[in-house]
Amino acid sequence: MIEIRDLHKSFGDLEVLKGINLHIRPGEVVVVIGPSGSGKSTLLRCINRLEEITSGTIIVDGHDLYARETDINFIRTEAGMVFQQFNLFPHMTALKNVTLGPIKVRKVQRKEAERLGMELLAKVGLKDKAHVHPDQLSGGQKQRVAIARALSLTPKVMLFDEPTSALDPELVGEVLEVMRQVVREGMTMVVVTHEMAFAREAADRVIFMDDGMIVEEDVPDEIFSNPKNPRTSAFLGKVH
Amino acid sequence: MGFEFKFSVIWESVPILLTGVKLTILITFFGLVIGFILGTFTGLGKTSRNRFLYGISAAYVESIRGTPLMVQVLFLYFGLPMVLGMRVPPIAAGISAIAINSGAYIAEIVRGAIQSMDRGQTEAGRSIGLSHAQCLLYVIWPQAFKRMIPPLGNQFIISLKDTSLLVVIGVGELTRTGQEIIAVNFRAFEVWLTVALMYLVLTLSLSWVLSLTERRLEIKT
Repeated sequence: MIEIRDLHKSFGDLEVLKGINLHIRPGEVVVVIGPSGSGKSTLLRCINRLEEITSGTIIVDGHDLYARETDINFIRTEAGMVFQQFNLFPHMTALKNVTLGPIKVRKVQRKEAERLGMELLAKVGLKDKAHVHPDQLSGGQKQRVAIARALSLTPKVMLFDEPTSALDPELVGEVLEVMRQVVREGMTMVVVTHEMAFAREAADRVIFMDDGMIVEEDVPDEIFSNPKNPRTSAFLGKVH
Repeated sequence: MGFEFKFSVIWESVPILLTGVKLTILITFFGLVIGFILGTFTGLGKTSRNRFLYGISAAYVESIRGTPLMVQVLFLYFGLPMVLGMRVPPIAAGISAIAINSGAYIAEIVRGAIQSMDRGQTEAGRSIGLSHAQCLLYVIWPQAFKRMIPPLGNQFIISLKDTSLLVVIGVGELTRTGQEIIAVNFRAFEVWLTVALMYLVLTLSLSWVLSLTERRLEIKT
């Protein structure tokens, strides 16, 4: 589903990704953990080409993401992105937020798009907020709408960039619950998060990144109970 | 020789001055409509990564902002016809001058508003597959436009008052009409006072319309 080969990314003189190799199978849930500045968000953003890479290859569903002939707008509809800061469109209602993509990108009829949009909002438990603007929603509700929006183009992969980091602690649970539901539906997911409990229960594989490299990857039980790399155990020791 | 304020002068001048007001409104309106279109495109040009688009937009903005409006008016009316080989009607020259001049300032307003938008908005738009143009149109522009209204209001008022400079090319707008009346009755105090009040009414109306627009956009979101 996603194939990353020898990915390097620098911001000026600062190299934030130092040769990443990663293969993600369809339906796999990969959780990326690591200290801030380790490059995990940048890695995720490269998979949606929100960053230009320095060198390497990223193939998403058979399309070379950074090849000249690739229609990047099309690829982006194949990968739904959820941001730490939600990034909902504040001038649109929740329903408009989730119907904009289908109507403008997929040319779906408005009525049909709204029907699908209501289904998505129902799925994240916010059907009654369809006609409300983002500023009247709580952080957790905003993020749930944002997940619905990312799902609105029926992507093949969902990318979550620290989806609960900007939330008050009591609102984290409702967002994780929606994410678990997406996992249950068999979605391929890459999740950058600090929620270790979520990683432990939902991930098929946990990747620990530090200093722009993948230091260790394994099934959650192994990585949490029996980390092999001292940097991994040091990080987990601090988090626990 | 004491000065005696004559109200009758005002009453007699008003109907004539109103013909000037009409022309002032007409020139301001068309000048600003064209100026807004010009400013929108050059403002977008200044946010462009395309070096050619950026270059011509920046050159336009800098050359217009850096030269006096009076010189631009004189150049358009007296200078250009020498090259074109034909006279430009004063009103057309006036509208062009206001359009070209306001366009440069509006470009900076548009650029500023667009660049002040959170990058996350563009990223969210692009991540659902919107093209650059669609993202601008549906996501960025509606939000940026709201931020543009106060500085646009400023510019609109400035441009309205700037039309008075068109006296130098003989456009019969409000200031010119005032001059013509004074040439006949020599009542400078009453006439200029009336002219000033008329400009004030025009600018106050404009502010009022703009604040109404701002409030309506506020309610809608």
